[in-house]
Amino acid sequence: MKTRVKARTYAAATATTLIACASGQVRLNQLSTDWQDDGGLSIGKVWAQTSTATVPASADVVIGIAGAGDRIVALSLATGHKWTFTHPLAARPVVAGPLVVASGGGETFALDASDGHLVWKTPTGALALVGAGDDAVVTVATLRQPGTNSSVLLAIARSGEVLERVETDKGLGIPAVFGHKAFVPWAGQYVSVLDLASGEEQARVTLRRQTGRAWTEGGSLWFGELGFTRFDEHIHEASAGRASSTDLPARELPGGPKLMPRGAVSLPTFANAQDRVRLYARPVATSSGAALSDGRWYATYFRLAMGFDALGAKLAWVRLHDADVLGAAAGSGGVVLCDERGNVTSLDAKSGRLLSKASLGEAIVACVVNVDNYHFADAPESAEPLAEQLEAALSAADPQLAAVQRMLLQELAPMPEASATQALLELASDSRTPPDLRKDARAALAKRTNGASELMAALGRHYDYLNDVLVPPPVGPIAQALGRMKELAAAPLLAAHLLDPETPLDDLAQVADGLVTLAGPSEAPALRQFFGMYRANAEPAELVAAVVSAGQTLRALHDKLGTEEVNIAAGDPMTMPDIREALAPVSPP
Amino acid sequence: MLPRSLLVALVLQVTWASQAAADERATIARLKSHDAQQIESALGDVRVSGRAGLAAAPTIVELLRRGLPQALTQAAIETLGDTESEASSEVVAWYAHDRSPALRRSSVAALAKTKGSAATKALRAALSDSDSQVRGLAASGLGRLRAKETVGDLLRALDHNVPEAAASIGALCTPRDCEKLAKKLESLPFDVVTGGLSEVLLRPPGDVDDDTKLAIVSRLRAMATGEVSRFLHSVQSRYPAGGSPRVKRAIDDAVASSFSSPPPGSPETSP
Repeated sequence: MKTRVKARTYAAATATTLIACASGQVRLNQLSTDWQDDGGLSIGKVWAQTSTATVPASADVVIGIAGAGDRIVALSLATGHKWTFTHPLAARPVVAGPLVVASGGGETFALDASDGHLVWKTPTGALALVGAGDDAVVTVATLRQPGTNSSVLLAIARSGEVLERVETDKGLGIPAVFGHKAFVPWAGQYVSVLDLASGEEQARVTLRRQTGRAWTEGGSLWFGELGFTRFDEHIHEASAGRASSTDLPARELPGGPKLMPRGAVSLPTFANAQDRVRLYARPVATSSGAALSDGRWYATYFRLAMGFDALGAKLAWVRLHDADVLGAAAGSGGVVLCDERGNVTSLDAKSGRLLSKASLGEAIVACVVNVDNYHFADAPESAEPLAEQLEAALSAADPQLAAVQRMLLQELAPMPEASATQALLELASDSRTPPDLRKDARAALAKRTNGASELMAALGRHYDYLNDVLVPPPVGPIAQALGRMKELAAAPLLAAHLLDPETPLDDLAQVADGLVTLAGPSEAPALRQFFGMYRANAEPAELVAAVVSAGQTLRALHDKLGTEEVNIAAGDPMTMPDIREALAPVSPP
Repeated sequence: MLPRSLLVALVLQVTWASQAAADERATIARLKSHDAQQIESALGDVRVSGRAGLAAAPTIVELLRRGLPQALTQAAIETLGDTESEASSEVVAWYAHDRSPALRRSSVAALAKTKGSAATKALRAALSDSDSQVRGLAASGLGRLRAKETVGDLLRALDHNVPEAAASIGALCTPRDCEKLAKKLESLPFDVVTGGLSEVLLRPPGDVDDDTKLAIVSRLRAMATGEVSRFLHSVQSRYPAGGSPRVKRAIDDAVASSFSSPPPGSPETSP
């Protein structure tokens, strides 16, 4: 057990119930797992004591880590002021109230978020910062010894004096400070309330969902990790699952993004894939408890940012960035993102429109965004239609985006807009489209029930070496869609593709099938030509199927010449056996 | 009364004619036999007789129209090419769009012989084929068909790595197009472009004016390289007797002035 002057050390061994402190006080069951649920009594009292206190705002700031992970480059969103601070970093810094708190080089230190000046520092050895809260008077930080499960909680005055030090083998999460109390999540399900004056654990609440974080935002205190629980008059019912809370609606997204990283661990100074594939949302207090601000939640997937409807989880917008998004925060009215090039953009919550753009001035390796009172610029009235946004996102030739592009394609597929048809056509035609995405685009095209003019325009394109058209259009799915639409005007275009040697074999049978529905007498010459060229010459099964379809269409059209040729071919030993068999005259019963 | 020798010749001629007609009928009968072997041998017979086999062309056309196995298709197309039957161009052109590149090559090669607007149209389209041999055959074929209206396409083909287009352009170009061809010395391999320029320089005076030819000689002379020297020497040796004296003199002067360049066939530079 470690003791310090003015510091109290709580060795929270599981079986230990009595712990002596430097001050000679005796505490019962501090942070102990054999604590008996008091039915919300103690946390209810804390709520009553603090309900009239004002929850402090935290800084609106973007913190980038640059260089070799040892330099903080920051942009104050409130003032536009940029500052830098070079110091070894053992973990990713955090924003706590008006401060930026970080650890490294044997100490933990705090900087003023507005201008980067050093506010305090204290030696902490090899401990790495997990998280911190601050009420503009006292900072409470949790730290971890790398490679161990033990945590240390420090309460630090503005002078750098350590007012409280708690060591425990429990995994402490990210604390918040409010009303002279520290709210400390731990063990993934508890939030203990420590009185900063006495060091007492005044209350504890058991939450029914994974909780590793406490923070203040939008004038409320929140607990959460997978969702959001508000500290309000219902908090005493938390153990019964009746606290005010809100969650993101369930929706499968590629990469399994998380709303928040685990609260009880230090985050690395270099962003990883989980930082690039993340969910973001801002909880707001409502008369009924809690909801998601602007009816939105957000997701990032490398270079893509997406906005979703909070009720139905429906995609509302998507925006493609120049570089991977490393961090973001949802605010009231929008979301602020920063990417690995150091660009900071704010997007409108409703439409995804770009509201503002700034730069940290250099490339970064990780980013922390904190938004509390930030006022987003007004969004322009006209917004790019979602179909066009999807088209832009889907046209990005970036293999890393393939998984999310498949998801976005499913959003685009049912859209009736002409631009949706066009986007599907381009995806299905572009040789750079990843194979899975191309397959999906072809399947979606085949199911189109509108956009006939775009589909027919695409059919007007053929392989053309001299004009650098080196990939034919996806004629198979187009033929299926136009056949379903009974678009007779497409027949001559399909007939031309039937005779085009560059029509892929996979598409040929579908083209021939489309002509079964659409062909008229005008297409008979092309059908006769195709039938004649391949009836004795068709090796692959797809070609055989197409020849059989062409023969059947000629008969169905009652084309005299064609029917005669088909009938002769059906009895000619030079005709391919499968074709002969398929076209053999049906004997009368 | 006819002399006896003439009578004998007449009888022999009638006999041969009737024998030829009988052979023709037999050949056509074999073509219509639906038997692959008989068709193959009949096609061989027609092919040997070249233009004389013209009478069988409609039957072969009909065979191609109704369809044959690939080997017979190829033989039929080549046979029609040898008969130079313009009436067959339409069906031969079908196979310029066959899925088999081999058949497309045969078709394009045959179309250069069967001629006609259908042939020109098919060869022009074949410049955009995915197969480089088809494109090359089409480019050469258009020159052979003297399809002057296709020079624009041939110039584009030349830019798209169809070197065979150069000779056809050279054979067909107007002064303006000939100048375009000469300008390609700046961007395309020398051998490719001069394959067309030699055609221009050797064309009769009434076909291309002297000024165009002199401009080409002048452009080449300005390049002053060994390969230019060798090229002009080659043109000089093939220059037609009835060619323009002015052009001849310009070529002679250019060759003479390049005395400091290595003689034809020697290495480009010496240390």
